[in-house]
Amino acid sequence: MQEYVLLMVSAALVNNVILARFLGLCSFMGVTTRVDTAVGMGLATTFVITVSSMADWAVQAYLLEPFHLGYLRTVTFILVIAAAVQFTEMTVKKVSPPLFQMLGIYLPLITTNCAVLGVALLLVEGKMSFIAATLFAFASSIGYSLVMVIFAGLRERLALADVPRLFAGPPIGFIVASLLALAFMGFSGMSTN
Amino acid sequence: MTHDTVDFGAPTLVEGTARVVAVDGDRVWLVPEQTTSCGSCASSGACGAKGIGTTASRLEARRFPLDNEAGLIIGERVVVGIRETALLKASLTAYALPLTTMLVAGGVAQSIAGSDGVTMASMAAGLALGLLAARLGAGRLFSRGEIAPKFLRRAGVGESCHID
Repeated sequence: MQEYVLLMVSAALVNNVILARFLGLCSFMGVTTRVDTAVGMGLATTFVITVSSMADWAVQAYLLEPFHLGYLRTVTFILVIAAAVQFTEMTVKKVSPPLFQMLGIYLPLITTNCAVLGVALLLVEGKMSFIAATLFAFASSIGYSLVMVIFAGLRERLALADVPRLFAGPPIGFIVASLLALAFMGFSGMSTN
Repeated sequence: MTHDTVDFGAPTLVEGTARVVAVDGDRVWLVPEQTTSCGSCASSGACGAKGIGTTASRLEARRFPLDNEAGLIIGERVVVGIRETALLKASLTAYALPLTTMLVAGGVAQSIAGSDGVTMASMAAGLALGLLAARLGAGRLFSRGEIAPKFLRRAGVGESCHID
């Protein structure tokens, strides 16, 4: 149990997907001007990362590894991720059309999010068990969502702040992101996983 | 005494622009506009690249009804809004609920059986259960009118959409 908790803390905070591994930076800058959209995108990405990582683990364990097809890993994973996004889109549409109308806008953006592929490749490299891989993917995506929401909150405050003209907009956003990354480096003393 | 201060207690609305594509009695059907890489969201309805899987076709699939109290006609651009909390509730219902039931089912199966196959099957069952619960939850939100967009105003000439 303790190893799972350490694995999750490590994945979410110490080796944060955005601020330590520098994955998913396009959505980090693009969908964080409002907290509510950041929450929507974060939850959608959490769902897709977790589900697609489970599918990627199964494909790796039961198809790629037994048949020595490791060289097809990246291509196969991209296909699995695209299928997972499509599955999510169809499921949300079937479960509730009003929810799909409201949230469907985020889903196409997730297919091209490199964090989804990055997490899948990391958990395969780590040679984890199924439950450990699932928890790793879930914790990684929670870390992604956490940083998205924190950064969106900071940018909402920045929008009201008196920023010098040359720094207004994305430049001050990048400076804040770097300070946030420095703050997250403080977690590196917690675990070495 | 001036009253031009911001009321932080007021409910915040997430705004978006949409175009009227059909009038059906007292209701109109709208298609949301989305910013494209060229930044010409206002002309996305007439975009030539309207094949399967494109942004335009995805938006077409997301058409939604609205009560036509303002006497809207086909082709008009309007600004619609939903409450900020509605987006949060919808996200939690659609994604967090199925994910939670799936992980709980997987955790319980792993602690009891300790086998990858059993855990996978339990997680699939947990996901199905969570999706069923999400369907019920979404139906409840919809019946209360919490996730339906509201008409705010007609969009101005230069008014563009906000997906950010």
